[in-house]
Amino acid sequence: MAASKVMPRKAHRSSVRGGEFRFIATVLVPTTIFYVLFRLYPLAYAFYMSLHDWKLLRVQQTFVGLKNYQTILNDPLFIKVVGNTFYFAIAATVLGTIVALYLAILINPIERGSTVLRLLYFLPVMTSTIAIATVWLWLYQTRFGLFNALLTMIGLPRIPWLQSPDWAMPSIILMSVWAGVGFTMIIFLAGLRGIPRSFYEAAEIDGATTLQQVRYITIPLLAPVTAFVVVTGLIGGFNVFQQVFLMTRGGPLDSTRTLALHIYDYAFLRLFMGTAASMAFVMFALVIAMTFVQLRIQRTEWEF
Amino acid sequence: MDADISQAPQQTITVSTGNNIWKRLRRSNLSNYLLLIAGALVMVIPFIWMLSTSFKPQAETISFPPRLLPMHPTLDNYFETFQRLNMGRLYLNTAFIAVVKTIINVYTSSLIGYIFGKFVFRGRDLLFYIILATWIIPFEVYMIPLYVMMVNFGLGDTYWALILPEISSAYAVFLFRQFMFTIPNDLLDAGRIDGASEWYIFHRLILPLSRPVIATLVAFYFMWNWNDFLWPLIVISSTNKYVLPVGLAVFVAEHGTQYGLTMAGASLAIVPVVILFLLTQRHIVQGITLTGMK
Repeated sequence: MAASKVMPRKAHRSSVRGGEFRFIATVLVPTTIFYVLFRLYPLAYAFYMSLHDWKLLRVQQTFVGLKNYQTILNDPLFIKVVGNTFYFAIAATVLGTIVALYLAILINPIERGSTVLRLLYFLPVMTSTIAIATVWLWLYQTRFGLFNALLTMIGLPRIPWLQSPDWAMPSIILMSVWAGVGFTMIIFLAGLRGIPRSFYEAAEIDGATTLQQVRYITIPLLAPVTAFVVVTGLIGGFNVFQQVFLMTRGGPLDSTRTLALHIYDYAFLRLFMGTAASMAFVMFALVIAMTFVQLRIQRTEWEF
Repeated sequence: MDADISQAPQQTITVSTGNNIWKRLRRSNLSNYLLLIAGALVMVIPFIWMLSTSFKPQAETISFPPRLLPMHPTLDNYFETFQRLNMGRLYLNTAFIAVVKTIINVYTSSLIGYIFGKFVFRGRDLLFYIILATWIIPFEVYMIPLYVMMVNFGLGDTYWALILPEISSAYAVFLFRQFMFTIPNDLLDAGRIDGASEWYIFHRLILPLSRPVIATLVAFYFMWNWNDFLWPLIVISSTNKYVLPVGLAVFVAEHGTQYGLTMAGASLAIVPVVILFLLTQRHIVQGITLTGMK
């Protein structure tokens, strides 16, 4: 058995001929150049910039060591921006995950019309965030927007959605959850399909209610999928840009100013590229931390 | 049920519980449908409202109470938006960039993934993991030096700046490499024994066999490239080179309070993608479970 499995491999290895070598080299030399030139070099370059008082178009850039990092970490606005980013990432991920799981559990047993339903939930995922934000900017409009019109019609006071520092971030989160829930739902549906039917049948025989089945079979068995969804959701949340760029520009009172928007403003509007680069590395640290969490989870043996 | 009991005991259990579940599901499915349809309405209403507003004259958009259907439906918003946004140009630019980026990326990544998945050579895994690791670098980190590089190369405000950094993507390479493990080596060896060149084997054997992954990635990257915003916003400054999301964002910033116009703009941006999506949705929805990313 073992021998027969190894044999073709050995034969394969011994067959490395001139033509094969040339083929590999022809592909991998440009590949290496590409990844060095467009990923690794910019990464190193960004770090180099973050150690300088770097202004675009200036001939000489001054080395300042870790001063940029010191400055941003002592800047109350930057701390607020990091806080906003966490607020968005955590709230949007938690809400989105719960709603998507609930929808997936609802849609899973359905046979007729499930394709149409899935398509409808998936519609915003396909659409550009800028276009969606344009539409929601109108829905959230304080005087004539649909949401406040509906609230007024049922006798409730208007909500200053994007105009109040307290409401702006929840409004952005609500829109983002709406836009992303169909995507997460599809991932959960794939996870649900992986759970053997016999588990539910066994629980059925033991007289477990639907709720108990969800609590003791579905949720524990979906744990790896949930972990994946949460970690990728958080990483995506750290990058949130288009919604706040179009809808609030970070306001009011910087209540929706997120890391990506702040980095963009510093780098390309104020042209403080060194400071912006140091901020980007703070974001990188967050993403690396999440990636380690993800790798840890993937390595964990899930036993039930 | 009586008939079940007369059968062999093992079968009795499966058949009767099967029946039970079916009944239960049928009962509970009704409430599932109601909740899901309510949810689907929430998903669709913003789009309906967008379309409805886009056909209303400006005065009607700010009338109270709001009406679902326009009293005096008009196409003026579309005509005006199409012209002011230079929509024909935006469609062309965006389609061109999205198609070129998608084809190049999927082709090169399949080739690289094939090499990493099907060949044995020194340093293979090291190189592969270095490439894969670049995937976690947030765009915000390398966009700043990338911009400086592009300006220094003299490629600022050109489509080269949009295309070059996307020639290959680590994640597509990773997916192709995974897929290559499902293709038996014997097949390649058979090709080699027949004297086929390595390029011939890749183009005539590997690519056709990879059709499911390719279809998924093409649909997926096309959608992603079509909606790409931040990088084009940074490097492209001439309005006649804008892509759709950037053009729309600028338009909204200029005509923010004319909701008939902005909704027409949003509709013009959304509708082609939705049509394309309905035509290709099978690949995309399957692709998500395969790739797990947007």
